[in-house]
Amino acid sequence: MIQNLPWLFLLLPLAVAAINWLCFSKCACCAAALSILSALGTFGLCVAYLAGMMPAAAPDIYTWMPIATEGMPSLSLGLLMDPLAMRMMLVVTGIGLLVHIFSVGYMKGDASNKSRYFAGLSIFMFSMTMIVMADNLAMTFIGWEMVGFSSYLLIGHWFNKESAADAAKKAFITNRVGDFGFLIGILLTMAVFGTLTFSEMGVATAGIPAAVLTATVLCLFCGAVGKSAQFPLHVWLPDAMEGPTPVSALIHAATMVAAGVYMLVRLQVSMGEAAFTDTACTVIASVGAITAVLAALMAVQQDDIKRVLAYSTLSQLGYMVMAVGLLAGEAAMFHLYTHAWFKALLFLGAGAIIVGCHHEQDIWKMGGLGKKMPITTVCFLMGTMALIAIPGFSGFFSKELILDAALAKSPVFFWVGAGVAALTTFYMARLCLITFLGTARAHGAEHASEKSFTMSMPLIILAVMAVISGYGFVADALVPFEGFHAHGFELGLPFYVSMGSLVLGLALAWLIYGCGKRSKDPLAGNAISTALRERLYIDKFYDKGLIGLLQDCGTRIIEFIDTTIIRGICVQGTSWLIGRFGILLSWIQGGSLRAYSLVIGIGVLFIMFILAFTFHSL
Amino acid sequence: MEAAISSILFYLFATVAVLSAFGVVASRNPVNSAMCMAVSFASTAAILFCMGAQFLGIVQIIVYAGAILVLFLFVVMMLDVKSEERNLSNLPRAIIGVVIAGVFAGMVTKAALLLPDATAGKCPVKALCCTDYDATPDTTVAEGELSGGALPELAQDNADVKSLGETLFSQYNIPFVILSFALLAGTVGAVALGRKIRKD
Amino acid sequence: MTPLAHYLILSGILFSIGLAGVLIRKNIIVVFMCLEMMLSAANISLVAFSRAQGTEGVPVYDPQVLSLFVVAVAAAEVAIGLALIVAMFRARKSVESTAITTLKD
Repeated sequence: MIQNLPWLFLLLPLAVAAINWLCFSKCACCAAALSILSALGTFGLCVAYLAGMMPAAAPDIYTWMPIATEGMPSLSLGLLMDPLAMRMMLVVTGIGLLVHIFSVGYMKGDASNKSRYFAGLSIFMFSMTMIVMADNLAMTFIGWEMVGFSSYLLIGHWFNKESAADAAKKAFITNRVGDFGFLIGILLTMAVFGTLTFSEMGVATAGIPAAVLTATVLCLFCGAVGKSAQFPLHVWLPDAMEGPTPVSALIHAATMVAAGVYMLVRLQVSMGEAAFTDTACTVIASVGAITAVLAALMAVQQDDIKRVLAYSTLSQLGYMVMAVGLLAGEAAMFHLYTHAWFKALLFLGAGAIIVGCHHEQDIWKMGGLGKKMPITTVCFLMGTMALIAIPGFSGFFSKELILDAALAKSPVFFWVGAGVAALTTFYMARLCLITFLGTARAHGAEHASEKSFTMSMPLIILAVMAVISGYGFVADALVPFEGFHAHGFELGLPFYVSMGSLVLGLALAWLIYGCGKRSKDPLAGNAISTALRERLYIDKFYDKGLIGLLQDCGTRIIEFIDTTIIRGICVQGTSWLIGRFGILLSWIQGGSLRAYSLVIGIGVLFIMFILAFTFHSL
Repeated sequence: MEAAISSILFYLFATVAVLSAFGVVASRNPVNSAMCMAVSFASTAAILFCMGAQFLGIVQIIVYAGAILVLFLFVVMMLDVKSEERNLSNLPRAIIGVVIAGVFAGMVTKAALLLPDATAGKCPVKALCCTDYDATPDTTVAEGELSGGALPELAQDNADVKSLGETLFSQYNIPFVILSFALLAGTVGAVALGRKIRKD
Repeated sequence: MTPLAHYLILSGILFSIGLAGVLIRKNIIVVFMCLEMMLSAANISLVAFSRAQGTEGVPVYDPQVLSLFVVAVAAAEVAIGLALIVAMFRARKSVESTAITTLKD
């Protein structure tokens, strides 16, 4: 019994989601309380396991589909309890709990159905737990799809707003593109490794041809590209900011988008680094680097506070993926972990600002918030400093680790990383200068104020984590990587370069945006700025070029099937046939007496024939 | 000898009946048709007489040739029906009709010939004319009992009518009553149909 | 001695002629006459069977009773049928069977 306690990680949020959905759809308070309790419960359980208060458990493995044949394993449901999973669970449940609490404040006064919102959060917690604790790829895939589904629900929470509904669809469909590759990758894994269970994968990679391995890994990477919003499929993440801000913090910054990185690291650990061939690594690292650069560039010219953070998330995810590609899973997970804390902090801070400014998201309509919302401002600045890697904050340690790894493997990625760091510093400084300094530029910002304790408390906790989580005494215990050990602080080329980029970014931002007196962006107006605002036209290309083309083709095919086959042959053809037959038959019913008598005559012949000859011969 | 005369009479009347029936179908004037039909009915009645069904023969003459035919003639006269014109457009239909009727006649002939003892078997009119009918010599008691003493009665006058009447009023009494209702209904129906329909 | 088959064949031929008349003729009165002829042709068959089934020269009377019924029904039919024809002539001023097409509508 006790060894099956970890199944509560899955069952608790699932049950709460079901109860919220089915029973408490009218009682938002009950739903919120229940969801928070479930998050608290899983968080407590997680802490208990990590602290060793609970006996090390090996939960039962249930056979899901007993299809075991030669070379074909049964699909099973099992939980992994290794440090990678459990510490990741700590991040998920910890941030999840804080976001649940923050949501109470954020959603206060919102007219939409709040129990639906909390049910969505719970079902997200369930699916994320499924990804993290899955002991095989099939189960990961279930969770993978489930987080996509819950993300769809939560982005589209305000489904009355057309942009939100569109964004939800976009996120879901874009993810499906990646998931298609992921599914192929899972099947390839099954074929190549003969198993989907992580613990059994590391056996024999030697005998497998490099090309097959590369294909497998890259197909699995497709899933990460979709879920972690890497370069070709990154378009959904900025749009996903249409959802409520706590959702953005939890799903689209801290946990779900990191699932791709987590899955890659999990594979790297299980398959062994030998499975990640040079080609695969190069592709993965390049995709990460391209995403990091493009997203950082786009972030420079965004006006919506959440979009700046969204592009920043993209850029940081690119960092992590790059680290995975450089075979530095440790660094990737370290950055994932620090990033989760400070990006959740930034998003929740942004949420507090948005609520404070009466649901205003445009940074050019804010300003001077530093004095009106002191707690939020301080916390937000903590997060910013962690993000731009000021020495002493958590982001600094993890970024240094990635840059170290990049320098060791390939200088190109190192310099890309440095450049992205400079851009990050620039756009975050821009954001802070415009938002917090100067004077209010709009009515909403003039009356901004701290709203409630349920919103400040998570911010403070996260701010503390953003500062301390990088230090060895915390990181060694909490970073989701087996045997992680924080490196000592050492001077060297990476440190100098990152300091240089930091100073460069800050100086540029100060020069351009000064002390927040300006009321519009001085860089706006030129071609480059427009291109960056238009997201380098990638979305437009997808909309017009790709989707338009596909839809045109689809329309043609459907039109052909619809008009020619269904309408032409099936419907009209049938009716034509029946009509003709009816005309033929109507001759019999022509109303002409003579025609009737003729038919009667023929009938008499038949009857005579049957009576006289058929029965006679019997 | 009698058998031969009987046969000759049969074939004679049969020929007359068939020819006059042709006349009914072929003549353009309905009055001519009616007249031909009278001949046809009369010869049919004669054939019935030949078969010893005197009562039916008389009924045939009285009902068909008398009542029905007169009715027909009466209607034809009353309506003043013009004689049909023979035109070519009717030809295909005539051919179809002839073919159907011909096939029917062929099938009836074939079926009749297929009957057991159809050609060589018993003579329908043996009771009247078949002297060459070889009554089995052993008119045993069993045979006599089987006949139920019908033979002596047959020699009496009106034996046929009497037997038919007995059958009709004993065995077929209820159908007979029902038939009378049918006739009544026919009469009432004819009156109802012939009534002048008021336009109001 | 005339065999049974000949009576039946005569009956069949008369019936066929009647059938042909029904099919060919347009004048509905003549059609009706042909119908009567078909009925009387059936009578010949019935009487012939009545004789053929008899023993010792005594006919079986059931077919003859049936034949009598046929005659009675024919009489009733003629009464109704001619009344119908008269009614139809009143309505359409014609006794052509081609004029009767009301069933189409």
